[in-house]
Amino acid sequence: MPALGTFLLLSCFVVAAYAATACLAGARRQSTRLTESGIGAFYLVTALMSVASAIIMYAFVTDSYAIKYVDRYSDAAQPLLFKLTAYWGGLDGSIMFWVLLLSVFGAIAVRNSRESHRELIPYVVAVIAIVEMFFLFLMVVHNNPFETYLADIPPDGQGLNPLLQNVYMVIHPPSLYIGFVGMTIPFAFGMAALATGYLDDSWLRAVRRWTMVSWLFLSLGLTLGMIWAYEELGWGGYWGWDPVENAGLLPWFTATAFLHSVMVQERRGMLRVWNMTLVITTFFLTIFGTFMTRSGVVQSVHAFGEDKQLAFMFTAFMTVLLVVSFGLLIYRLPLLRARHELDSWISREAAFLANNWILLFSAIFVLFATMFPTLSEAVAGERLTVGPPFFNKWMLPIGLALLALTGIGPLLAWRKSTIDNLRYQFLWPVVAAVVTGGGLVALGVRVWSSGTCFALSAFVTATLVQEFVRGARVRQQYSGSDLVTSAIGLVARNQRRYGGYIVHLGIVLMALGFAGDGFKQEEQLLLKPGQSVTVGPYSVRHDGIAITQDAQKQMVTARMVAFRDGKEIGPIAPAKWFYNKRTEEPTTEVAIQRSIGYDLYVVLAGFDAQQQSATFHVVVNPLVNWIWVGFGILAIGTLIALLPERALATAAVKVPAGAATGSSTTVLLLLVLLGASAFPVHVHAQGHVEGASTVVVPMSPFEREMQGQIVCMCGTCGRQRLSECTCGTAEQMRVELAGLVKQGYTREQVLDYYVQKYGSQEPLAMPIDKGFNRLAWAVPYAVGVAGAIFAGAAAFRWSRRRHGPEAAPAVEATQAEAWQQKLDEELRDLD
Amino acid sequence: MSGSKTVKIAISTLVLGLAFSAMLYSSLSEDTQYYKHVNEVMTQPANWYGKRLQLHGHASDIRRKPDSLDYRFDVAYGGQVVRANYTGIVPDTFKDGSEVVVKGTLGPEGFVVEPNGVMAKCPSKYEAGSPGNPGGASHPAGVKQTSAAN
Repeated sequence: MPALGTFLLLSCFVVAAYAATACLAGARRQSTRLTESGIGAFYLVTALMSVASAIIMYAFVTDSYAIKYVDRYSDAAQPLLFKLTAYWGGLDGSIMFWVLLLSVFGAIAVRNSRESHRELIPYVVAVIAIVEMFFLFLMVVHNNPFETYLADIPPDGQGLNPLLQNVYMVIHPPSLYIGFVGMTIPFAFGMAALATGYLDDSWLRAVRRWTMVSWLFLSLGLTLGMIWAYEELGWGGYWGWDPVENAGLLPWFTATAFLHSVMVQERRGMLRVWNMTLVITTFFLTIFGTFMTRSGVVQSVHAFGEDKQLAFMFTAFMTVLLVVSFGLLIYRLPLLRARHELDSWISREAAFLANNWILLFSAIFVLFATMFPTLSEAVAGERLTVGPPFFNKWMLPIGLALLALTGIGPLLAWRKSTIDNLRYQFLWPVVAAVVTGGGLVALGVRVWSSGTCFALSAFVTATLVQEFVRGARVRQQYSGSDLVTSAIGLVARNQRRYGGYIVHLGIVLMALGFAGDGFKQEEQLLLKPGQSVTVGPYSVRHDGIAITQDAQKQMVTARMVAFRDGKEIGPIAPAKWFYNKRTEEPTTEVAIQRSIGYDLYVVLAGFDAQQQSATFHVVVNPLVNWIWVGFGILAIGTLIALLPERALATAAVKVPAGAATGSSTTVLLLLVLLGASAFPVHVHAQGHVEGASTVVVPMSPFEREMQGQIVCMCGTCGRQRLSECTCGTAEQMRVELAGLVKQGYTREQVLDYYVQKYGSQEPLAMPIDKGFNRLAWAVPYAVGVAGAIFAGAAAFRWSRRRHGPEAAPAVEATQAEAWQQKLDEELRDLD
Repeated sequence: MSGSKTVKIAISTLVLGLAFSAMLYSSLSEDTQYYKHVNEVMTQPANWYGKRLQLHGHASDIRRKPDSLDYRFDVAYGGQVVRANYTGIVPDTFKDGSEVVVKGTLGPEGFVVEPNGVMAKCPSKYEAGSPGNPGGASHPAGVKQTSAAN
């Protein structure tokens, strides 16, 4: 089985290479047959990857611990669901999952656009196939999930980290992956447009949907991450500016910017270079995010281990990516000239431009701050760190500015807004903002950031309501139906615009939730039985500690009663669970009392069983639930914008008043459902522990250096260095090393000792870089590079041969057809 | 694109860029913390008085004042020790001998840990980052261990 898997991965690489080569050559030679064979090969990659994925899942289900990857991420006791999802639980499998998704998405995209974008498809296939090749190459030479133990097959696996055995962790990573991988499709189309020179706006239409879908999944992934952090981690917040969270946020910023600026290109033929840049940047950031979390460049709880070789390969790929894509862009600059100039700064184009700059700046800032510790170490030699306060200080004003633009943009006219026009549009929203702001000041709200946020939210909401009401009125006059029906008809007639507005409404609600953080109140204290504490409108009384036991774990639960405004609202039970095998590290079970206004969030931080006293972290989080509700609305808005154009239009035109109210009820119901699903069921992660380890501290710099050069040989720690590993084996090895150092061993002698002891260079963090080893390092690269050169040369030669005039008429025929199709599309897209 | 327009764009980009860099620089100097091991600091402690630090070492001799959240403990690394004071909730993994990173400022009286400034390294079976590195390999007080597959 594993041999078959490895073979499949290898064949995928070969087939993908053929697909890229054949398509490039076919496109240049105008040979339909060659291109078709390339596309066929491209589909074949999807099939092969599916089979390979099925094999690894089968291996998980059948507990084939001979495969190292299965051994590391599964054990016999693991529930089936987690056995299956362990597929993407580790580094190697997640790369494989990535390729699978990419091949599936690529196949769908190619199938859908094959006729309408005939001239682009060969290059799209080639670009996607090359990206696949990179990841397949990674797997084959470095991270093969099908790698097996040669001897000593373990009887049982080591099990997936219990923290990942959690429903959110089942859907959160794939959701982010879908978002990440989806961004490859727009990139491929952009590259194809650049390569062919068909730089009209048709490639944009092909990728708009893909970007929207990917954007939605990216948003979903980020939101799920927040919910998980809030419910499971027990520190009272949801976003900690962790490098891995940031890695997901970076492409989100640029994709959001693209979704906006693409409208300017469609409407006004401007920003064409800019859009291309955004597409490239977004794709680059997805790769960079992967690189950041998988190579150990930045440290994070979520990151996979440090890996120099992987870092090197990623760096090479990213360099090539940047050089080629921006090189093409510069080469095609003359074709990308804007058709119009910016007429006025008080126009919708300008608002979009501002929105784009802010989003791009956010991306750059977050990237900079995330990389700052690494950068400072590289530049100054000293590791300086920046924490969440630094991020917040910057992102707060940026977020507020974006929120303001969300309101301002739709109010401005294209090209140029006149004074009358401005007065007409801005009157009510500004009034709403001023009234809200004034009201808040009068009520004594003194948190400027949150206050501004509320006022801006009122402004944006008023804008949206005004847009809907005015639009509906116009429609009402001409259709004669009631206002609600007209509003629905309005949405149906222009899904993208009004879907977008609904997304904005979701953003406003999320912003409200974030602003609530400004009024967060918390208390850390020790309570004896009978004592209580008041935080905000809530108070909680501690009644004592109960210790109970079930088959799996010992549960220490604080028996508490919560009051709101003096009235009892019921018992709450924050707890700590000590799993029998993992008593060293209890899990924290947060007690959350949700409400529309406030969440009461109580963490049991410590306890004294004899005195029945306990320490608590009591947090009152205002408005936090609006974040999840806001996301629900955002998702609905995106779906409306995504629906096939005719689906809603027919419904809304034909259906009279009664039924229309019915559909609005459906929308409401959906909303409630989504809201409800955003309040997730309480799923508890399990804690995880290893035996207590006393750490042997290196006595000399030399010893510390050597600890960094030897890896832990327990076989489970993923080749962590001795200086970093905390397991028991590492502990013994550190003691052993300390002994060697004491005996006066030199560096070479120590390395020799370990090579002798384990019979290979496996314990060395880096292979000894000389002689045969150097060759071993170089071979895969040499083969990869040679393959790439060969494929390129073949493509070039094939495309050169037979460039005769007889091909020309055929080209013209296909082009004429393509143009006809494009014309049809353009006509259809006209409002 | 005419020459004058290019110049205009270049100048405004330059001005904006400089302004942002200046702001970034000023806020960075307020918000950055040095990341040091105990022995790197305690050989010349006076040089570090008043500076915000993240100090990496092993906790020992942890004492708590009865009925309070006032902790006192030693942080040792590379043969040097510093006494730390802290008030608040400590992470579950904070025990004698555990590897910690404490945030705060150093003074002649010892190291004053800021609120939520105790992070203890979690022994992770997952192939997570190395211990004691900033940015999340360790967790603030009250935070459960995390790792995610992405």
